[in-house]
Amino acid sequence: MSAELLNILLGFQPDAPELQQKREYDTTARNFVSSLGNISAQHFLKGADTPQDVLSVLDPSVNSIAYATILRIRIAAAVDKKTTVPDVVKPGGSLWNKLVLFLESFDPIQMRYAGAEWRKLLEYVEQIARAMQTPAIAISPMRSAMIRLDPSTGTFTSTHLNFIRLCMECRSYVAALPILDNYIHSLPSSIQAQVREGLEYSVPCADTATSGEFIHAKSGHSDKISLSDVQEYYVLGAMAYMGVRQFKKAHQMLEHVLVVPAAVANGLMLEAYKKWVLVGCLVDGSHKSVPRTAAGNAMKQVRACAKAYEALAEAFSQLNNLPKLKAQINAGKDTWDEDGNVGLVNELQEQQYRFYVSHLSRTFSAIPVSNIVNNVGGSAEDVTTYLETLIQNGFLNARLERNDKPGVGAVLRFYLDPTQGPQAKTEKQQQQALLEQTERTNMLADQVKDADYRLSISKEYVEYIKRQNKKAAAAAGGGGGDAMDVTWDDGDMDEDIMS
Amino acid sequence: MASNVADSPFFQQQKAKGNIIVHDPPKFDLESYISNYDGFTRLDRLHHIGSHSAYLAVDAYRIAIAEAKQGKNVKLYLLLVEELSQIAPNDPAALTDTAWAEKKTREVQQEQDRLDHELKSYKNNLIKESIRMGNEDMGHFFYACGDWSAAHKAYMRMREHCTSNKHLADMTLRLVFVSIAQKSWLGVQSHVAKVDAAQLKGDEKIKLEPIISACTGLAHMCTSNFRDAATNFIHTFPTFLTLEPAAGITWQREVLSGNDIAVYGGLCALASMDRSELQNQVLANSDFRNFLELEPHIRRAITLFCNSKYSACLEILEGYRNDYLLDVYLSKVLSTIYGRIRTKSIVQYFIPFSCVTLDEMATKFQLTGEFATIEDELETMINNGTLDARIDLVDRLLISPPTNPRYNVHADALAMAEKYDHTLRLRLTRLNMLAAGMEIRPDKNQPREGPPGTGEGLSSGMRGIGSRLGLT
Repeated sequence: MSAELLNILLGFQPDAPELQQKREYDTTARNFVSSLGNISAQHFLKGADTPQDVLSVLDPSVNSIAYATILRIRIAAAVDKKTTVPDVVKPGGSLWNKLVLFLESFDPIQMRYAGAEWRKLLEYVEQIARAMQTPAIAISPMRSAMIRLDPSTGTFTSTHLNFIRLCMECRSYVAALPILDNYIHSLPSSIQAQVREGLEYSVPCADTATSGEFIHAKSGHSDKISLSDVQEYYVLGAMAYMGVRQFKKAHQMLEHVLVVPAAVANGLMLEAYKKWVLVGCLVDGSHKSVPRTAAGNAMKQVRACAKAYEALAEAFSQLNNLPKLKAQINAGKDTWDEDGNVGLVNELQEQQYRFYVSHLSRTFSAIPVSNIVNNVGGSAEDVTTYLETLIQNGFLNARLERNDKPGVGAVLRFYLDPTQGPQAKTEKQQQQALLEQTERTNMLADQVKDADYRLSISKEYVEYIKRQNKKAAAAAGGGGGDAMDVTWDDGDMDEDIMS
Repeated sequence: MASNVADSPFFQQQKAKGNIIVHDPPKFDLESYISNYDGFTRLDRLHHIGSHSAYLAVDAYRIAIAEAKQGKNVKLYLLLVEELSQIAPNDPAALTDTAWAEKKTREVQQEQDRLDHELKSYKNNLIKESIRMGNEDMGHFFYACGDWSAAHKAYMRMREHCTSNKHLADMTLRLVFVSIAQKSWLGVQSHVAKVDAAQLKGDEKIKLEPIISACTGLAHMCTSNFRDAATNFIHTFPTFLTLEPAAGITWQREVLSGNDIAVYGGLCALASMDRSELQNQVLANSDFRNFLELEPHIRRAITLFCNSKYSACLEILEGYRNDYLLDVYLSKVLSTIYGRIRTKSIVQYFIPFSCVTLDEMATKFQLTGEFATIEDELETMINNGTLDARIDLVDRLLISPPTNPRYNVHADALAMAEKYDHTLRLRLTRLNMLAAGMEIRPDKNQPREGPPGTGEGLSSGMRGIGSRLGLT
């Protein structure tokens, strides 16, 4: 362990007074990363497992860049060309512990500069966990690393996809929710380096920087991602939501797959559409028209292949003809089975009663349970218990009461006033919800602005504007002199792009 | 006698076809009723009454057959005789007068040949006026024979030979007349619009206006457009009653009488207007008052409706249901009109109450046979959104739900905000994808298949992704 090496490693101190200026910090961090890249791996491997080990000298939360690089090289060396997982990196081994510690405590600002290391370490976590046949143990470190780097986790990276795949394999749907709840607001952009670096805006260490700025195609945080990666993420995410029975969110998640720009449909779109139709029934009681932005031709293709599902949805919404759904389900048994949607279809059958009962509230203020039994079948006790569970779970704004009149029995009485009953919300709750919504919308508006900005400095857009200006200049009959003066972040044009 | 007729093979068939059959005697007297009409509509109405009323069938057919024998429409005569023979085979009128039919057919054929010949010679002479008249004669002839489409064509051919606005208007009125006989209401509407647009001036125009509004109203009513029908009928000028023949047609006798306008207009207004509109536009309308005086019970029904005496109003209308079912134009739309008036009465009746017992509703609104109980009827009305109320089956009450606008506004705002939020996110996703150059493009390497084919390929490729991932 040479002192010289240690000097280099400690050469970057994020808290140093001369680095308070973001621009300085930016340059130093970049130089530091590239100087680390020049040191050969042999140097870092020396002195491992001795008291003078660099990893024990460095603090993962202060010297994050150096720590990540060394850790990555160490693990690479340990697992290199081995068929089995060596003990040190096994869960409980020293390197594993260091890895997990690092992922939970690294300095997020520094990691903006060492994207490749960050990604590599996460991949190791996943690979080791898989090799040990215990994929579930990777979930928590991965999640904390993702949230640490980017609290909004809204910029899509290949890690997102790996993470959700892992969660689905372990059926840890709940574990996936913190990431899924943060919607994807950016995709890694491929803005040219000179545009990115010449601007104050793009200093990655800036406090105000959003993840869309420091995670981009060249930052190394993400592997190259394709459209089907993003689609797969959404489909899997939706399935996770279904797993925890949050059907509304699942429904919204699936819509993201339907709106992708497409000249023709692909398999994931079809898959998403089928599930979307079914989940739509569970959310609203009937299936709705596809989002307006969805590509028309692709939707036509998809719908042609998903006729059976639409028929099912149609049967579901016919609340005055309950046996029809059952018949439809039986008729398409093989289809649901092949598509792996049996679970959802069964859910449909169970939930139809719920919609039937809540539909009654639009017509009746009170109805004897025996009347409901006549329509849905089954015994009075079963129906009564079922209604009780519905009321307890807040699906029904009603109460069950006993009636003294002979021959009437239990009565389901709906609350007519929306401010009464189990579903009621006080004005305060409503106000709270409205405030929260306002905040969310404002945040979203900022993200839209960012996306818009990124779009406005993309090469294609600049070229488009150039062409437009040339045309305008030609039309005006003047020289091309003025054309170059018109800036590319012209406000009006941006709005056109958004609309 | 009536029961015999009702069991006859003809009425059995009518029943099987789902046509309406009226068994009870209507309030009107056939002789005096039919004496209001002339021309084709007289026969048409008699035929309608004969084929729908078991009580009047034989009388109506007898008169109709006697009438038909005066005319040139052999086909209609044969049809009437055939139908009567199925109702009362022993009636003397039920025997087909074959000799007359053959003779008439021959005569008709000769006349057609003659007219054809005349028209040809007019055409050779190239005299516009003669050609026009020749075509007109052809039209009249075909109309008399009951060949509507040929009549329509003949009148249409007059168009290019018309030299004055008056001729054009006459021709179009003839077309309206034929279209009414054909019962092709869209045709009536378009031709009436043309008459309206014809550039007539002064007296001529004033003369035609009542005809236009009456025919438009009729066409709207028969296409179930009651609101427009009502406006047209109630704005028909009373001069309609005393109108001179226009285009050789006495409209108030050969199409619809003043009484008809009163009934049609009154019923359509009841079905489509609310109380204040009825009061202001119908009862206080001095033009329409002249018509309403002809049918005082319609006037009474409207007055009762305006005074919120709905059950009395419905009672009057029910009393005349049989009469109106025997009206050639009303019978098809009557149940819709009555249904609307009834639902409107129920809705209006319930407005001032917060709670009414179902038994009270049942006595106020006698069931018409469409629903088994008043609950069922109310349930249907609530479900299709016409009545804003809830039924309490336990205490047998109809309850008006309390409203809480403040809560609703909050809830709506929240729902809307969430929806917009989500839409915006979807757009953002799409925008990002476009910015990143992501798009699904058709595969150029593979031969193109039709959309279903590609779809099959897709689904087989993706089949079972759910089960593979363990979420089913």
